[in-house]
Amino acid sequence: MTTPETASPAQAPPLEAPLPETLDLKTLFEALLRRPQALVVRLAESNHGATGRFALMTLLSMLLFGFVLGCFAKHEQLWAAPAKVTAGLIFAGLICFPSLYIFATLAGARVTISQLAACLAGALALAGLLLLGFAPAVWIFAESTDSLGFMGTLAIGAWIIAITFAFKFLKSVIDSTGGTQKSPMIIWSSVFLLVTLQMTTSLRPILGRSDHLLTQEKKFFLQHWGDTIGTSLKPQTQNVPAPENSRETPPTNEGRNPFLEN
Amino acid sequence: MHLRQLIQPTGDWLDAPSPRRVAQVAGAAVAGLAIYGFTVGFWRDPLMGIYVAIKMPLLVALTLACNGLLNGLLGLLLGTGLGFRQSLLALLTAFALAAVILGSLAPVTFFLAWNAPPPDAPGAANAHAAYLVAHTVLIGFAGITANIHLHRMLAAKAPTRAAATATLLAWLGGNGFLGAQFSWILRPFFGTPTLKVEFLRPEPMSGNFYQAVWHSLGTISGGFPVPALVIALLLLAAPILHAIQTKHPKP
Repeated sequence: MTTPETASPAQAPPLEAPLPETLDLKTLFEALLRRPQALVVRLAESNHGATGRFALMTLLSMLLFGFVLGCFAKHEQLWAAPAKVTAGLIFAGLICFPSLYIFATLAGARVTISQLAACLAGALALAGLLLLGFAPAVWIFAESTDSLGFMGTLAIGAWIIAITFAFKFLKSVIDSTGGTQKSPMIIWSSVFLLVTLQMTTSLRPILGRSDHLLTQEKKFFLQHWGDTIGTSLKPQTQNVPAPENSRETPPTNEGRNPFLEN
Repeated sequence: MHLRQLIQPTGDWLDAPSPRRVAQVAGAAVAGLAIYGFTVGFWRDPLMGIYVAIKMPLLVALTLACNGLLNGLLGLLLGTGLGFRQSLLALLTAFALAAVILGSLAPVTFFLAWNAPPPDAPGAANAHAAYLVAHTVLIGFAGITANIHLHRMLAAKAPTRAAATATLLAWLGGNGFLGAQFSWILRPFFGTPTLKVEFLRPEPMSGNFYQAVWHSLGTISGGFPVPALVIALLLLAAPILHAIQTKHPKP
């Protein structure tokens, strides 16, 4: 029996065959995860029809993830949160697309507008798929906690991880189309991330509840997060003493100790 | 499937994630965790032992089921080349190894429970504390061993060691994060002597493991939870990273 230490090292993968003529959802899903380079080459050809399918994947996954976020506050947020999350991402993609083309060209990439649009849609679809992967865990916490700060941190954390892989895909697009400069895409990625983070404040409330569907008050997202991180979805009971040395609102289960209820 | 195959898998172990193999590994994990779980709860009450024998495999099953898509995506995106079923088999194998280790220790832990002062005895609180520490050490040992084992399997498949390490850490983070919350939902496991024996505490979905730990860290550290958390995380991560560095050096 060969132990893993003595096993032969992993062989180099064989040369990749081109992607099939018809790019259905399954093929695109596989290609996004396993063969991003081959996908970029295929997207350079005309009539791939991938942009619409990627957009559909993005739409469905963001709607589902938004619904999971809406489960935190329930009521009208069950439909408002998916609508806001999806609309926010589409809006962010649209307003950032012109700069993506310019920055990609600055980086040295030789990519057409339609190819880049398909690649951006693919990147967002990849982020959406990853968010779907996070969705069960987020739902568990949405049903378990009342802390807006905790849920917000969890959702933003999942988004940052998901969008990091989307940026990685876009980087491979730039690299495989002749791009040599790194800094333009780093700057664009930072801008896109900031835009999506600002969406969490511009479209508020997404997690919590309000009398208004949207608010007109202008705020920077860091200020909004700072204002809400210590708050709870439910009003605090008066008979729970606040912990010493803590200026934050105590979480609803702060008196419960997992090591005393084991 | 022999136990030796599970404990010393060959380099091609993950190449054939057939339903039969997955079922066999899952069976080993369930058996090991159920036997060990029974001994964990037995000290509080034999009924508690039965509850924990059900809940321990359930904890692993829920964690893997909820994170299945995420684990598969991360395995592919971080460059190990593992598909969804291979990722599932790798993680199940690691859990099964931990379960086999714990299951093999079950006679010892049963003996420990058998000889501990009963829950209604005057020294029950001390016995409970010692019981907790002993099981935490055993579970920690089994968990660390299983993760080292998992890294070995990933390193045999991944094109680079960095890809294997990144995947291991991503899986560890994701499954650990969700698994801790499931352990909160499925509590009690050890059975506090002053609380009644029950399958789940009232309102099991109410509450959050991390907020409770954060509050406890704040209490025991005199209002400085961040340094306490950093120290705790370093203590957890150090043996795994040390083992990865020393046992699997770069070729």
